[in-house]
Amino acid sequence: MTDVPTSVKPPLQRRFISDSAFPWLFPLLALLLVFAVYPFFYNIYLSVHEFVPRRRALEFVGSANWVKLFSDSRMWGALAVTLIYTGVCLLIQLVLGMLIALLLDSDDPGFGFLRGLLTLTLVIPPAVTAMIFLLLEDANFGVMTYYLQALGLLGSNPILANPSTALMGVMIADIWQWTPFMVLIFLAGLRALPPEPFESAVIDGASNWQVFRRLTLPMMSKVIAIAVLIRGIDLFRTFDYVYVMTSGGPGTATYTLSLYAWQQTFSFIKWGYGATLSLFSLIVILVIAHIYVGLTKLKW
Amino acid sequence: MLSPGQRMLRALVAWMVVGIFFFPIYYWFTIAFRIDKEIFEIPPLLLDFTFSWQSFEEVFGITIGAKGGLEVVPGGGNYYMVPRLVDSIIVAVGSTALAVTVATLASYALSRMRIPGQHHFVFWILSTRMMPPVAVAIPMFFIYKNFGLLDSHLGIIIVHALMNLPLAVLLLKSFFDDIPQEIDEAALIDGASRFLIFRKIVMPMAIGGIAATAVLCFIFSWTEFLFVLTLTQTSLKTVPVVSTTFVTSTGTAWGKMAALGVTAMIPAFIFILLVQKNLVRGLTLGSLKQ
Repeated sequence: MTDVPTSVKPPLQRRFISDSAFPWLFPLLALLLVFAVYPFFYNIYLSVHEFVPRRRALEFVGSANWVKLFSDSRMWGALAVTLIYTGVCLLIQLVLGMLIALLLDSDDPGFGFLRGLLTLTLVIPPAVTAMIFLLLEDANFGVMTYYLQALGLLGSNPILANPSTALMGVMIADIWQWTPFMVLIFLAGLRALPPEPFESAVIDGASNWQVFRRLTLPMMSKVIAIAVLIRGIDLFRTFDYVYVMTSGGPGTATYTLSLYAWQQTFSFIKWGYGATLSLFSLIVILVIAHIYVGLTKLKW
Repeated sequence: MLSPGQRMLRALVAWMVVGIFFFPIYYWFTIAFRIDKEIFEIPPLLLDFTFSWQSFEEVFGITIGAKGGLEVVPGGGNYYMVPRLVDSIIVAVGSTALAVTVATLASYALSRMRIPGQHHFVFWILSTRMMPPVAVAIPMFFIYKNFGLLDSHLGIIIVHALMNLPLAVLLLKSFFDDIPQEIDEAALIDGASRFLIFRKIVMPMAIGGIAATAVLCFIFSWTEFLFVLTLTQTSLKTVPVVSTTFVTSTGTAWGKMAALGVTAMIPAFIFILLVQKNLVRGLTLGSLKQ
């Protein structure tokens, strides 16, 4: 090789030196390996063990945790709560988000300011949002409680202490914080639409609803699909609001899978079972998300 | 087209709807700035509350004298939160620096080089964004316990960086993809190394995107709750977690909690207004451009 001038390296060697992706990816791979892959396998390891307080040690229990999981009525309850929470919040945020986006899609003075104002909810820590709504929904001096009662929409039962309204009380916090997320994404989609099809539709005498149904919605389908995926994942993983506002109560009315797994691990020292629950919720979300991405043909 | 009357009506409805959304923020600010006993008034005081710095004084461990001079309270008092704000800043800045550095390198490679199985790799990174935090926090607790990283700034910095990596990688990749490949190729032919091109050409061109990514990483670390709750005990707590400790069996210190919350919100508000242009792209992990 010594007879080859350094500036004209053979193609293969040059490629190897200057174009290998590995050094660029190495820090990312190392971090993900140590802090994402390893914990995943550690979770699997934990799920076939259980902590025995008497011996202060983990003991191998085989599939016992998984058998327990599928016959645990509280797990099924938590899964149901999680799915209801995800479905209801997603639907409301989707519809409300679209309506507000259509409302704010204007170049009139003031609308840019309103759009900016709406983004502020997104950067409040969810735990603080939970606190804000804990105050607004307080049974004695909460603003929401006071005005809902004044309007006759709410009885004397406190919102968060009543099993039939507690979940709604928590969901309101989520809906308040994340509807603007949908609004922003839909607004970006609406503003990127080409004007020509809409102009010709108006000339052809199409009604507003027809334009929305036949033009806006289909042209926005990718935008909507992305928003639903991201929001759906975050809703399914929800923890902060329920942990702060109700801790799963009253009874088990607001137990989500994440909260149940966390409590089993850290409140009841069921390390193995907690890990099993968290693995289960991981599997559920990955399966749903992969089917969804396949159906909607989303690409990154 | 809308008639002037319809436009007026639209503006009116828009202001009302955004007003409803803004109300909880407004009310939380008033809670922070009012005297304690007025928090419990019925009907609730929405406009005519008594203004006071009292809650902020307690949170910052200072008293504002009659002549406007500041006095530091020795020991800070029960609600002294300055160390917790410092914790939050250390964790958010540290994790942002780590995530953005690692992600910038990786996304340059993902944007520019042929990598076998690239599509699957990108999708796998996206999948890690889907992991429920609790499924990471539980094993992480035991791993950190073994490595002595529990209750340390470094431990939280790493886990927050990890949490932000999928966002940072996918978002930065989308920004790098916007820069024409031909620029790199021209420089390569001129004999520049990949790293030189990256440092001198591509990075300066993508600096706006890198800044937007950093802002979003900062905000997600700043607002994160579950990892800090799980992986810290006494020596550090960030604002979201310490906020919840204001709830005690003898009552909730709403005023102080709101004062701390407001203090934490203001930098985040400023940051988010700075990145409005790239916000939607960030929130959708680089898949939608504005």
